[in-house]
Amino acid sequence: MITVENLVKEFPLKDGGKFNAVDGISFDSKDGEIVCLLGVNGAGKTTTMRILSTVFRPTRGTASIAGWDIVKNPEKVRENLGFLSGDTGLYNRLRPHEFIRYFGRLYSVKDSEITRRMNEMVELLDMHDFMDKKIEFLSTGMKQKVSIVRSIIHDPQVMIFDEPTAGLDILTARNIISFIRKCKDEGKCVLFSTHIMREAERLADRIVLIHRGKLLASGTLEELRSEAGESDLDDIFVYYVNRFSDETEVLAHEF
Amino acid sequence: MNSKKIFIVFGKEWLEVLRDKRTIFTTFLLPLILYPLLIIGFNAIMSRQTGVLEERGASVAVQDSVLNPVSARIVKSLQDIEHFDFLPASENVDYLYENKDIHGIVTIRDSLDSDGLRLYHVSVQFDAAKDQGQLVYDKVSSKLHELKNEFAEEHIKALDANPKIMSLVQVHKVDTADSQKKLGMILGMFLPYIMIVMLLTGASIVAADLVAGEKERKTLETLLVAGIDRREIVIGKYLTIISLGMLNLIVNLFSMSISVQLMLGQSGFDMAGVSIPFKAILLLLATMLPLATLFAALLLSISTFSRNMKEARSYEQPIMMVSMILAMVSFLPAIELNSMLALIPVVNIALIFKAVMVNDYQVSHLLITIFSTLALDAFAIWGSIKLFNSESVLFRSEDDSGGFKSIKKDRKNIFTPYNGIVYFSIALLALYYLGSRWQMQDMVTGLLKTQIILIGLPVIVIVMLLKQDGDKVLRLKLPRLKEVALIPFIAISASVIVTILAQLINEIFPFPEEYLERMSQLFEMDLSLWGTLLVVAIAPGICEELLFRGLMPRFFEKFGMVGNVVITALLFAAFHLDPFRFVPVFLLGMLLGYLTLRSGSIFNSMLSHAINNSLAILLVTFANTGFLKKLMMGEDSLQYWVVIPALIVLPLSLYIFHKVTRPEESSYEVIAKEL
Repeated sequence: MITVENLVKEFPLKDGGKFNAVDGISFDSKDGEIVCLLGVNGAGKTTTMRILSTVFRPTRGTASIAGWDIVKNPEKVRENLGFLSGDTGLYNRLRPHEFIRYFGRLYSVKDSEITRRMNEMVELLDMHDFMDKKIEFLSTGMKQKVSIVRSIIHDPQVMIFDEPTAGLDILTARNIISFIRKCKDEGKCVLFSTHIMREAERLADRIVLIHRGKLLASGTLEELRSEAGESDLDDIFVYYVNRFSDETEVLAHEF
Repeated sequence: MNSKKIFIVFGKEWLEVLRDKRTIFTTFLLPLILYPLLIIGFNAIMSRQTGVLEERGASVAVQDSVLNPVSARIVKSLQDIEHFDFLPASENVDYLYENKDIHGIVTIRDSLDSDGLRLYHVSVQFDAAKDQGQLVYDKVSSKLHELKNEFAEEHIKALDANPKIMSLVQVHKVDTADSQKKLGMILGMFLPYIMIVMLLTGASIVAADLVAGEKERKTLETLLVAGIDRREIVIGKYLTIISLGMLNLIVNLFSMSISVQLMLGQSGFDMAGVSIPFKAILLLLATMLPLATLFAALLLSISTFSRNMKEARSYEQPIMMVSMILAMVSFLPAIELNSMLALIPVVNIALIFKAVMVNDYQVSHLLITIFSTLALDAFAIWGSIKLFNSESVLFRSEDDSGGFKSIKKDRKNIFTPYNGIVYFSIALLALYYLGSRWQMQDMVTGLLKTQIILIGLPVIVIVMLLKQDGDKVLRLKLPRLKEVALIPFIAISASVIVTILAQLINEIFPFPEEYLERMSQLFEMDLSLWGTLLVVAIAPGICEELLFRGLMPRFFEKFGMVGNVVITALLFAAFHLDPFRFVPVFLLGMLLGYLTLRSGSIFNSMLSHAINNSLAILLVTFANTGFLKKLMMGEDSLQYWVVIPALIVLPLSLYIFHKVTRPEESSYEVIAKEL
């Protein structure tokens, strides 16, 4: 389970000022559910996910992963969290099985358990051919499969995918998408971010729209459709962005 | 911290290191091949060259302007030198010499001394920069030395005296330095330098890769979300750097010692009973370990700070340069380790190294060296962990927030830390090149010119050029009476504490003589007391404050008040270009910074600064009069007990000061309003 309450992330500006990359966002995501964080580039998606995965500390607000507070128990959060992004790098000089084992050990998973889970995933993702090659010689698709196994080696309850298909070809992207579905089927709580509307439409149980660090709207696709009065997600998104801009303009006039 | 996880990181890093052909080559293969080839090859060429040179001989022109039997014997004896051609000097002898057709000119002249004895002067003209020139001089002079003895012996015999009178006094060389010690001395000269450089090179090979490399290859974030604490990551990587640095050192040392042994054996160095002092080297490896940890922590900080490997590599350069220069101290023959030098990193290791090699060292120096290096290391690794926990540092390559980048550009602010450092560096250079020259020409006008032209005026000009509101930027706000009334208490007590601190430092690490002389010049200027006060207290009180409490703090506002006070005080201390007073000046700088930033009025720190400097002059001037006599110990030192009242007054007056002042309106807002 993920809960996010009034999350704020302030970044200092070079001139001494401040800027809120994430500005008071709240949402939640239950087990067995896929929630999509949808927004244009620079909306605050990555920052939100980095806060949730304990890479960044929130300036204000709270969030918890599988019941653990991200500030008070970051190590518990990491134990219960699998993280995968579209442009993660891998250690080129290692072989896939060494790479996966390294992370398994960091998560304090027993060696026998690592082997068991790894074999299972290798079977599932058809990775036999390249498990003993050095990662630098693998194709993008192969690397992404290795990353998938890495992200789930400690059997986390919550999965976070940050733009997982960015920069991937269609076949590789499909692997990822079916993997996300599989996580849901296993009862995991899944949060993924994207700026591709179709992906959100196909995968998400619920959608959280964010723009310039602020929450625009959240709900199932149907709920958003009926509120916006549009059927296409692109149009729905534009509708909310316009409404948001009007509001901020009104605010600007009032002050 | 979980040591198991640290070693998981350590193990993985080593696995990667061992799979990297470049690292393997530079760390293991290169040293193993290089030294034998280098030394043996060099040796072979050298020994051949010396032989060839002797055989080649030289052509020398002889100009005998005496032409008597004695001079004829001189010429004849020279002609006995093997492989040498002696030809009578013709008119074009100088031309031949210039043209390098001959390698030397020997000229024989004579003179009569007061007793009527005929003396023969043989001058040897040669070019010492040429191997053959040196050969000419060596051979000719040793031949003439033999001849001189022959002559003397003949004369003594002619006088019927015992020729042994020639050697009534005999000098016997009893060299207690055995071959072992000589070897130690040679090794002590160049080994420390080589070892320090090796250590640093080895460590820097991996350091850039370990964090900056992870950023570049986008693996860092994956690692950060893995089930490991950031401290564990830092320590794991830190251990990797240390071990690789040490390993590189050991491999180099091993290869070198074998090659050197071979070389020494071949060159006829007396090797009986001489071995490379392995025990000493083991001890030295143990002393190198703290240095390895210090380098590792520094390199790791650089790597963490850098956006990519290239950047890390370029930031490593200054550390390399400084370390190499410091390490060169081992080549200086006269410098020996003392407690002061034992505190300077790298220098201390190089010198203790040298001392251990000739087995003449003090354990206390060894301990100071090790512990001071470890203390620095602890500080540096703490810094690394801090950096590694800092989001703005770790994600400096961050461009995911395109939204706020554009906002950033709209609001230009000249008061950035970067600009602050640039301004400071320029002022420091001006002080170093112009100020010290002016003061050398004339102390009084030099000091005044430095204060006004180099320190004070530029601040005002800069503020005007930037069209800033000078009163606000420089905090030229009149202080409140309550504040001013407290300043004398604060200034005098602080001044006493700092003076006593300086005295204590002097006790432990005595200031060098020439330094004390230079300082005393300040007090012996040809000026009235008021004049001295103006030059030494009032001018700095105004000008230095304008710079360090007026302009400088504006550059570092983003670090908050505490950070700002510490940074400007550090710069203030550095500006005095005086390692001996660094700590006292730094502490004073912090106090002055606090006074201004807390009260919002620079006049408070100006007054305090002037009082502090005046006090030093007044103490020296009136040391022997009135009640001051009771406080003083000698001419310029305070009794230590004086610190007790000062330690009571300072906190008390500072506390009241803190109470009566309201924290200044957030500095950032002040500036923002102006822009």
